[in-house]
Amino acid sequence: MIRKLIVSISLLCFAGILHAQEEPLLKKWSYNTAYLMPERKWESGILQPFRYGINRKLEVYTHVPMLPFIPEAGVKVAWGNKNTFVLASEHSLSVPTPFLNIVSRKGIGGLISPEYDFAFILSVYNGLLVTKPIAPKVLFSAKAGLAFAIRAEKPDPQSTIDLPVFYPRMAHYYEGTSIRFGTAVKGSLGEKWFYEEGVQAFIITRPENNFFFENTGTLMWAAGKSFRIRGGYILAYGKYPYVTPKWQLWPTLDFVFGSR
Amino acid sequence: MNNHLYRKIAFFPILTVLFMANNSCEPLATSFREVEDAIIYTKEQKILPPQPDSTLKVMTWNIRFGIGRQPWFGDACGDNTVFRKDEVIPGLEKIVARINQVRPDILFLQECDVKSNRTAYIDELQYILDHTYFNYAAYVSEWKSEFIPSDGLARMDMGLVILSPWPLTDAKRINLAPRGDQAGIVNYFYLHSCIVTANVKIPGFKEIPLLNIHASAFATDDTKKKHFEEFKAEMDKLDAEGKYFVSGGDLNELPPGSDSTDYCYEDMCPGESFHQPGDDPMHKDGSNYTPETEWLRPIYDAYVCAFPLPEYQQNQPAYFTHTTRPDHSWDRTLDYLFTNHRWRKGSAITHQDFLTESDHAPVSAEFVLVKE
Repeated sequence: MIRKLIVSISLLCFAGILHAQEEPLLKKWSYNTAYLMPERKWESGILQPFRYGINRKLEVYTHVPMLPFIPEAGVKVAWGNKNTFVLASEHSLSVPTPFLNIVSRKGIGGLISPEYDFAFILSVYNGLLVTKPIAPKVLFSAKAGLAFAIRAEKPDPQSTIDLPVFYPRMAHYYEGTSIRFGTAVKGSLGEKWFYEEGVQAFIITRPENNFFFENTGTLMWAAGKSFRIRGGYILAYGKYPYVTPKWQLWPTLDFVFGSR
Repeated sequence: MNNHLYRKIAFFPILTVLFMANNSCEPLATSFREVEDAIIYTKEQKILPPQPDSTLKVMTWNIRFGIGRQPWFGDACGDNTVFRKDEVIPGLEKIVARINQVRPDILFLQECDVKSNRTAYIDELQYILDHTYFNYAAYVSEWKSEFIPSDGLARMDMGLVILSPWPLTDAKRINLAPRGDQAGIVNYFYLHSCIVTANVKIPGFKEIPLLNIHASAFATDDTKKKHFEEFKAEMDKLDAEGKYFVSGGDLNELPPGSDSTDYCYEDMCPGESFHQPGDDPMHKDGSNYTPETEWLRPIYDAYVCAFPLPEYQQNQPAYFTHTTRPDHSWDRTLDYLFTNHRWRKGSAITHQDFLTESDHAPVSAEFVLVKE
């Protein structure tokens, strides 16, 4: 049943190939596609990273609210068009050590037991993105990437945050390489409303707790020329350390603002 | 495929999500109904149950989730929240060895972890069932949360158990009053005290209702008093039906007439101060029993304790079952067995020599069986 469900959601996100008039959509929501931020334009959200277009070939990004806790820097590089496919690559470095040490604490906010201290971890991600307009005002994107960690010391396997969304993104800090791939369809439902439906899988190269799947759905309202509100869900499936694979549903909410 | 169709099929994932939300997803913390079914564990290869001739040995033991006397942040001034598998398994081995040594027919356990983060996700109940002669267990959670975002506790499932070599029937979880002295959000993630009940039928004898309780340990208001009233009400119900029951557990309360009733100094951690002008709180949570000394009196008056009150009052240290200090011997009595029938004279034992297995000593006694 679980496999059927995963396949069904995946097929939905692969469905159809048609041409498009994607310009308004891209102006509002190019995040998670192979398109870059336009030159000298920026946007940021609480959860969505800050993105800034250096030029037509290069975009830089980082998660601003998390910067003191997880120093991070990334670039998105445009590789041009191939037929109707738009190609780009993403490369980022982050250091989650301060965050892990902050949440390893006594009292409220202690997501990790206080007896654990984390040594230096450098997380490296490299990925490829491809986007294709498949219908008027509809974009299809696919991505694949690898995340691995360079560690001063291997963290204790019991010091993980065993929560959906967190666990798969942090798994490679502890053991193995994280292979990530996914697809998404986004489109507009009028002048001010947009949607995105996507799937993503995480395979961690290790013998246990190594497969995670997420289905995300988001609606975005362009409340103003430079302000958007996004809300939706993440439906997450995974093999966590407590053995029984399970589904979890999480709500999502973000406020995105930036250049006009 | 056109745009209209895309919008239509966008509803498919939404329906899927609603289906999943309704059927497969758990809230962060579990809330309990007043009464619900217990979870029954069974051993795959059953062992032939014994045939008692006149008595049934019953034991109650708070096993402190198998970590022995190691300092834990929640109850022994420790810093550790999480224990490794190679720390928990030796603790469980010791517990199992003691169970097999005493060989009770019926065993009440409190603080048994099932796949909790702090005990390396070990199913402790399954371990105990697999390594003893019991065939059946009734389990109820008293603290169940997918993720507690405090002190690194994370996933928690701790509960109460009744173990038996004979089948257990009508096993239930009875919810007890929530703590009245906690903020709502804390209470949401905190443990919810309860009773596990089940019936056991031994061939040739009347069916015996069993009740195992773990009352609140740290409530500073009258929550514990409510728990005792609810516990007694369950016993009263069975008594009124003419049934002979065995009840017991960790009541987290001293017997009436105890000489020492304030353990703030004994339980004090480094850096804490109590009983001094300006101290807030004046007493350590769960360590000052002075206002509660008569709260167990109604149960003592109505039913037969394995250790009658006069015996306890004559030599109190001989019946102590608990201490919070890892390196000390027992300093108070918190664990009990009651019945509305009879205990075999001289059969009650406080196993004070089991010093390293838990911060509680088990108590056992032989219940006199009633023929059909």
